Amino acid sequence: MNDTPPSLAAEPSGADGRRADGMRGAIRLLVQGDRPYMLYIAFAILLVIFSSTSPWFLSIDNFLNIGRQTALVSIVAMGMTFVIIARQIDLSVGSTLALSGMCAALAMSYIANVWLVGAAAGIGAGALIGLVNGLLTTRLAIPSFLVTLGSLSAARGLALMLTNTKPVIITNDTYFTIFGEGYFAGMPAPIAWTALAALVGALLLHFSVYGRQIYAAGGNPTAALYSGIHIKRVTTLAFVLTGMLAGLAALVLSARSHAARPDVVQGLELDVIASVILGGCSLFGGRGFILGTLLGSLIIGTLNNGLVLLGVSSSLQLVIKGAIIVAAVAFTRR
Amino acid sequence: MNEPPAAVTSPPSPQPLVRVTGVAKSFGGVRALRGVSLEVLPGEVHALLGENGAGKSTLIKILSGVHAHDEGSIEIAGKKVVFNSPSKARDAGIAVVYQDLSLVESLSVGANLMLGREPRTRLGFLKKRQLMSEVDDFLKQHGIPLDSRALVGSLPFAYRQMTEICKALMGDVRILILDEPTSALTGDEEQILFDAIRAVTARGVGVIYVTHRLNEVFRISQRVTVFRDGLNIGTFATAQTNMKNLVAAIVGPGHASQQEESAAAPADAPAPIAARGRDGEPILVLSKVANDRLRHVDLTLRKGEIHGLAGLIGSGRTEVLQTIFGLRPIESGEISIGGLSLGSGDPAQAIELGVALVPEDRQLQGLILEHSIERNLTLPRLRYFSRWGWIQQRASVQQAQAAMRKLAVKAPGPSTYAKNLSGGNQQKVVFAKWNHPQPRVFLLDEPTVGVDVGAREEIYGLIRGAAKGGAGVLLVSSDLAELLLLCDRISIVVDGAIVKTLERGAFGGAEELHHMIQTSQSFEERAA
Repeated sequence: MNDTPPSLAAEPSGADGRRADGMRGAIRLLVQGDRPYMLYIAFAILLVIFSSTSPWFLSIDNFLNIGRQTALVSIVAMGMTFVIIARQIDLSVGSTLALSGMCAALAMSYIANVWLVGAAAGIGAGALIGLVNGLLTTRLAIPSFLVTLGSLSAARGLALMLTNTKPVIITNDTYFTIFGEGYFAGMPAPIAWTALAALVGALLLHFSVYGRQIYAAGGNPTAALYSGIHIKRVTTLAFVLTGMLAGLAALVLSARSHAARPDVVQGLELDVIASVILGGCSLFGGRGFILGTLLGSLIIGTLNNGLVLLGVSSSLQLVIKGAIIVAAVAFTRR
Repeated sequence: MNEPPAAVTSPPSPQPLVRVTGVAKSFGGVRALRGVSLEVLPGEVHALLGENGAGKSTLIKILSGVHAHDEGSIEIAGKKVVFNSPSKARDAGIAVVYQDLSLVESLSVGANLMLGREPRTRLGFLKKRQLMSEVDDFLKQHGIPLDSRALVGSLPFAYRQMTEICKALMGDVRILILDEPTSALTGDEEQILFDAIRAVTARGVGVIYVTHRLNEVFRISQRVTVFRDGLNIGTFATAQTNMKNLVAAIVGPGHASQQEESAAAPADAPAPIAARGRDGEPILVLSKVANDRLRHVDLTLRKGEIHGLAGLIGSGRTEVLQTIFGLRPIESGEISIGGLSLGSGDPAQAIELGVALVPEDRQLQGLILEHSIERNLTLPRLRYFSRWGWIQQRASVQQAQAAMRKLAVKAPGPSTYAKNLSGGNQQKVVFAKWNHPQPRVFLLDEPTVGVDVGAREEIYGLIRGAAKGGAGVLLVSSDLAELLLLCDRISIVVDGAIVKTLERGAFGGAEELHHMIQTSQSFEERAA
C-alpha cells in the first residue's frame, strides 16, 4: 500500500521532514551526518571520564600525543569511509600499508634517495593494490570481503618476501621532516597529514560529483545503475583511494621510525573499520560522513591513550576496547 | 456521510465474519481513521476503495494486528476482539497479502507454502515427499498454475504474488485481505487470481479486496466500500452502482467531473490530439535488435508520439526498454537516436543522447529511499549541476525545487527523504529526475502502478506534456485502458519480438486489445 504514512508525507511538520537546502544541507551532513550529536556526546563523555581519573590526560602534550598515535588509523579510515559507503569493505589496509612502506624505503635505497621518489613509490604501491582489489571486486563480482581477505594475506606475504623479512633503514632527513618529525602550521607532521586527508576527503565526499556517485552506488546500486552511474568505476576508485591513503600512512609511520618493517600494523583494519562504523557509517552502504570518521578514530585513539594512562594492562585494554566498540555501535545504530 | 453502510444494500442475513463499528485511530496528532464501519459476510468479496491516504492501509493494519485501534469496536463472528499482535489476528483467521511480498527466495514454492508447519518425522526430519504432495494437492484443487518445485527467486513477480496468496490460503483462514493484488498482473494472470478468489469464497471465506482499479470491483466484488479522509463514504452493492458513482465517492465533491475521464472506460474517453506524432520525424529507430531476451525488434518512435507496448508479463516489454536504455547489451541489430547510433550496454551514453527511463519498480530501481529528494533528482544529470567535478549546490537545489513545483510533488522540501513520500509522490520524483533538460526519448515502464486516482491523472498529464513538447514516449503498461487512453500507436510484444503494430482507430476497446494479445501469443506459440 502506498498510503501508509499519509500525514508524514503531506505535512511540513513530519518527523523526518527536515528542511536544509544546498550549501546548508551539505554542511549539515558534513558536521552531523544522519545521526546528529550522538558522536559528539560520546566523545565528550570519554574526555570527562579520562580527565577526571588521570591528571596527565588533560594536557596539550597528551592531546598531540593522541593525534600522533591515531594518525595512521585516521588517515586510512578516510579512505575506508568511501569504501564502506559504497557497500564494500577493505580488510587489506594493514598489509597494504606494510607493503607500501617497504616499496617506499626500497625505492629510496635503490633508485634515488629523494623523498619524492619514496612518496611516489609508497602511494603508488598502495594505489596499485587498491586497484587490484577494486577490479577483482567489480569486474569478477567477487565479494570484497573475500577479495581483500585474500590481499590481506598476499600483500603481507609480498612485503615479507621483498627483503626476506628484514627491515629497510631510511636515511633521508627531508623525508623524516615532511612525514614524521616536522611541523606544519604548528601541527606535528602526522597530525597535519591527518588534517589534510580529512579535508580532501570531506571535499570529495560532500561537495563533489564523485561524492554523490559513491553515496548513490552504496545507497541503492540498482537505482544508481538506472541513473547512468558507472558503479564499477566509482567503486574501484574508492578502493584506489583507500590504497593511496594506506600508502600515505606508511610514509608517516616509516618516517617516525626511520625504517620500514614488513611486519608492522597487523590488525590495523580492525581499528580502522571500528572508527568508520563508530563514526556513523552504515555497513549497508549509502550513509556516513568524514567528520564522523575522524571523531570515531579519535575516540578509538583516546580510548587507547586513556586506558594506558589509567594503568590498565594491555590484555585488559583489548577486552575493554572491543566491548566499548560493540556497545557504541549497538547504541548508535537503529 | 458516516451512517452504517449496510442499510444501503439488501439486509445481510448471515452473521458477518467481521464487523467493524466506528473504528478510529490517530498517529501523533493525525487522525488516520475518524470512525469507519465495515462488514464482511461469509463468501463475500468486499472491495475497499479510496485514494492514497484515505485510511485503507490503516484499517488493514488494525485488522491484522499491526496497530491497535483507539475507538470503536471490532467483532469477529459476533465476538468483540482487540488484536494487540499480528499472531492474534492470524489465530482469529485473518490473513493479509501485502504488496511487498514476504517469501524466501532461495526456497521452492512448496517449501514457502509450508514454511513453519512442515510435516516432520518423529525425529524432527522433514517429510519432503509428503510436503510436496500436500502442496501439489492444494494447487491442483484450486487450479493454480504454480510449479511447487520452482525456486521462488526464479519466478516472475506475478507468480511470486500467487505463491503469497496461496500461502495465506493454506492456513485456516476465514478472512482474506488482499492489498492491490493485481497491480503487477497481466490479464491472464488476473483471471487465474480471480478464479482462485472465487474458489475460496465458495468455501465461505470472506475477502476484503483493496484496489485502485475500478473495473476489477465490478468483475469480482459483491459489495464495495469507499473511504475518503479517514471516513467511510458509503457501502454499495456492486450490481447497483456504476463507475461514475464510485469515482465521485472516491475523489469527493469538486473533482468528480475531472476524474471521470481517466477512470471511465476508454471507449468513452476523448481521443488524444488528432494525428499527433503520426507524421513526426523518427527520433528512435530499432532495427532487428536481438539479445538474450529479444529475438527481433523493429520499432520506429516518432517525435511527439506516445507509443504503447502491450503484452503479457515476461513477453519482453520491459527488456525492450532496458535494451534501449543500455541496461542490456545488444547482440545484433542497431538502435539509433536522432540518427546517431547507440552503443551497447551503457546507460550513461543513452542518457547523454537524451533517453530517460522511468523503471517498473520505483523503490528498487527508481529511487534511493534513504536519500533526499534533491539527491535523487540530480543523480542522472549530475553533469548539469556541477563544474569541474564539484557540485553546484545552489543550482542543484533550485532545480529540485523547480521540478517539485512543476510536477506538484507533495513534500516539505527538497531535503525530505524519498522513503517518507507516498507512492504517487515517489513516482513523481522518479519522473522529475528527467525534468531538466527535457529528454528526447521517454521510456516508461508501468508508470501508474500503485498510484492513486488523482496522482494517476497528473502522471497522464506529464506523459501527454512530454509528447506535446516533442519527445517520443514509449509506454509499457499492463493496464490496457491506460494504453488505449494515451497511445497513438500500440505494438504487441510476444516472446521478445514485436508481432503487430496498431494505429489508433484500429484499437477497438480493451476487450478487443486483450483478445488480440492473446491470439498473437497463441499464434506465435504454435509457430514456434
